[in-house]
Amino acid sequence: MKRGIVAHKKLFTGLGLGLAAALALTGCTGSSDDGTVTLQMVESLTNPARTDVIKGLISDFEAENPDIKVELISPPTDQADQKIQQMLQSGSGVDVLEVRDITVGPFATNGWLHNMSDELADWSGWENLTDNAAKYAKNADGETFYVPYGFYGLSLFYRTDLVEEAGFDGPPASWDDLLEQASAIQDPGKNQFGYAFRGGTNGNSNVVVAIEAYLADQIDEDNAFKLTDGSTIFAAPEARDALKTYFSIFEEASPPSSVAWGYPEMVEAFSNGSTAFLLQDPEVIATVGQSEAIGADQWNTAPLLTGPTGKAIQPMATAGWGTAEASEHKEEAAKLIAFLSEGEASTTFAEQNSLVPILKDAAESEFYKTGAWASYVTMNENPDTYITAVQPRDSAWWTEWIQKSDSELQQVLIGQMTQEELLESWDAYWVEKWKNE
Amino acid sequence: MQQKVTDSVERPSADAGAPVALHGSTATRRRRSFTVRKGLAILAFLAPAIVFVTVFIYYPMISGSQMAFRNWNLTNLTDTSWVGLKNFEAIFADPVFYTVLWNTVVWVFGSIIPQFVIGFAIALWLRRRFRFRGLYQALIFFPWAISGFLIGILFRWMFNSEFGVINDLLSKVGLIDTPIPWLADPGSAMVAVTIANVWYGVTFFAIMILAALQSVPEELFEAGSLDGAGKARMLFQITIPYIRVTLGLTVLLRVIWIFNFPDIIWAMTGGGPANQTHIMTTWMIKTTQRGDYGQASAIGLIVVAILIVFSAFYLLAMREKKEVNS
Repeated sequence: MKRGIVAHKKLFTGLGLGLAAALALTGCTGSSDDGTVTLQMVESLTNPARTDVIKGLISDFEAENPDIKVELISPPTDQADQKIQQMLQSGSGVDVLEVRDITVGPFATNGWLHNMSDELADWSGWENLTDNAAKYAKNADGETFYVPYGFYGLSLFYRTDLVEEAGFDGPPASWDDLLEQASAIQDPGKNQFGYAFRGGTNGNSNVVVAIEAYLADQIDEDNAFKLTDGSTIFAAPEARDALKTYFSIFEEASPPSSVAWGYPEMVEAFSNGSTAFLLQDPEVIATVGQSEAIGADQWNTAPLLTGPTGKAIQPMATAGWGTAEASEHKEEAAKLIAFLSEGEASTTFAEQNSLVPILKDAAESEFYKTGAWASYVTMNENPDTYITAVQPRDSAWWTEWIQKSDSELQQVLIGQMTQEELLESWDAYWVEKWKNE
Repeated sequence: MQQKVTDSVERPSADAGAPVALHGSTATRRRRSFTVRKGLAILAFLAPAIVFVTVFIYYPMISGSQMAFRNWNLTNLTDTSWVGLKNFEAIFADPVFYTVLWNTVVWVFGSIIPQFVIGFAIALWLRRRFRFRGLYQALIFFPWAISGFLIGILFRWMFNSEFGVINDLLSKVGLIDTPIPWLADPGSAMVAVTIANVWYGVTFFAIMILAALQSVPEELFEAGSLDGAGKARMLFQITIPYIRVTLGLTVLLRVIWIFNFPDIIWAMTGGGPANQTHIMTTWMIKTTQRGDYGQASAIGLIVVAILIVFSAFYLLAMREKKEVNS
């Protein structure tokens, strides 16, 4: 009997220790006895260099706020948003998180994001935010679910030497110019191609940019998939002209395999010197800068391509920092977000990650006026030509749209669908979605 | 009869109220209390495994399965009500489902037949004794240690039309004049992903068949040789019948495995172009990406149902063949 009691004691001791260990592991977020608060911060668009920058900024923040510690979690990019969703759903383990314009909608709908309006009501940083940053930091109801840290905007990367050799004075300004120049440069026999066409993942984005350029005068700037008359951009006759030019660029000036090209293939094609033009975000500036195949004097960037109206629509993509609704340290979280969204920290983050900055004074710094960044200055200085408009990326069905449009774009490229059918399908999709809103 | 009484005494359930317990000796009670303790100890030792399997396998499985009957979309979890078979109806109504189903059949059998034949040949070759056999074995088995996703990324670049090594080699040996857009054409994309999978999976068959071959007694070959049987006859009348069960189970395992193996396709084509290389599991991943866990879970249940039916027929066919042979 005594032996039995001893055995039971051992069993319960073991269970108790296990439980204590489990509690210790799950209870690692929160306050300690000395009053230090530990914040759990999760990033989404992870890459090693970027993580180092964030860690450096966190160190600066901790030095300024000795009673707050920040633990950074960096899941691999491909799984990051799903990981963040799981953390938010479980209601623990995250205080500050990276919120993207495509995740803010579902996260807020599910009640996972905290409206930081109260915590940031007296924040002095509002005054120095650019108009775009201020616009994205508050939704239509005036709620602040995230503060953007920067913007991704498109520009045309081009090969200065190939353009000159082909007899052109400068880079293409419009989609029609691009077709002309890229076709002239294309020479598959020499493994030289005109345009790094995006037919694979996210291929829909560039088609839409082309369509928007053809309709720049009629676009609803608050919803760039809509015209001012309320119809979709896909129903307009100009959309057909845009597609004709766009698919001609594929047929006459792009590698046939680009049906399957996503981001890595496009950037590789430009960086290895085989392709003359690439439409991409500024983050590619750093990648191309490291290329051993093309020198700094062989490439540059040009402003976004215009349509027949002489105007282009810049679809800004963004992400920022937000607070989890389940966080027990919302004040401290807001303090960290305010720190990252102003002054040196914000400028450093934008520059190191090749982002269009959120601060007015940062946009005026020398960094953004030289080299490949000069085209962004041109676009910023000509807002009537390069019109900034908001795509409905925060819709709950945005990912569904991406999958549908990518798949149908490929169907056109491999001859399973006509251009007219594509436009009809996209028009019907958005009309149906907006009807049910 | 005596035996029966002893049995009932030793059974832990025959305790209070049982006639034997009431009239049993002290020795019998000692034996019984020892048995109860022993039973508890066994239960205590088993408990972690039972808890682990329940919490980490059965609970997620059941929890995941019930999503298939709910409106479970991550983009809006404010309404996760029961929707009956709606998710299944949506899947069966989608024409892509039938393309995906056919692709899965092509993917499984297009991969498994070459894997089996080449794996068998390698296993037969490695069974012979020769210098550096261990080194060759290690080199051949090495790919199995690499992640399927990484294999997919490597093959994606190898099959790249303009910068890939495969078109380069084909061009240098004069087999092609213009580059083949491997991953851009639906037909060639399916061929490309299958080639990558064959390369990856041959190793598994080689390992399993080699292990089975090493269990065949040498005496059988010696007897066959004395009877004048040639190499082919010994292969078909001694080797294969002897390892038939292992071969059968290995093929079954591989069918299930390949059916559930999205890594290579996901990394190489993402199911494209235009859904033409999607198999059931890549399609399921794509569905989760748009947050529709309800429909993804329904696809998962369809996969399970197909594999259960296939396995049942396969095992039945194997048993019938065994009975015919015996």
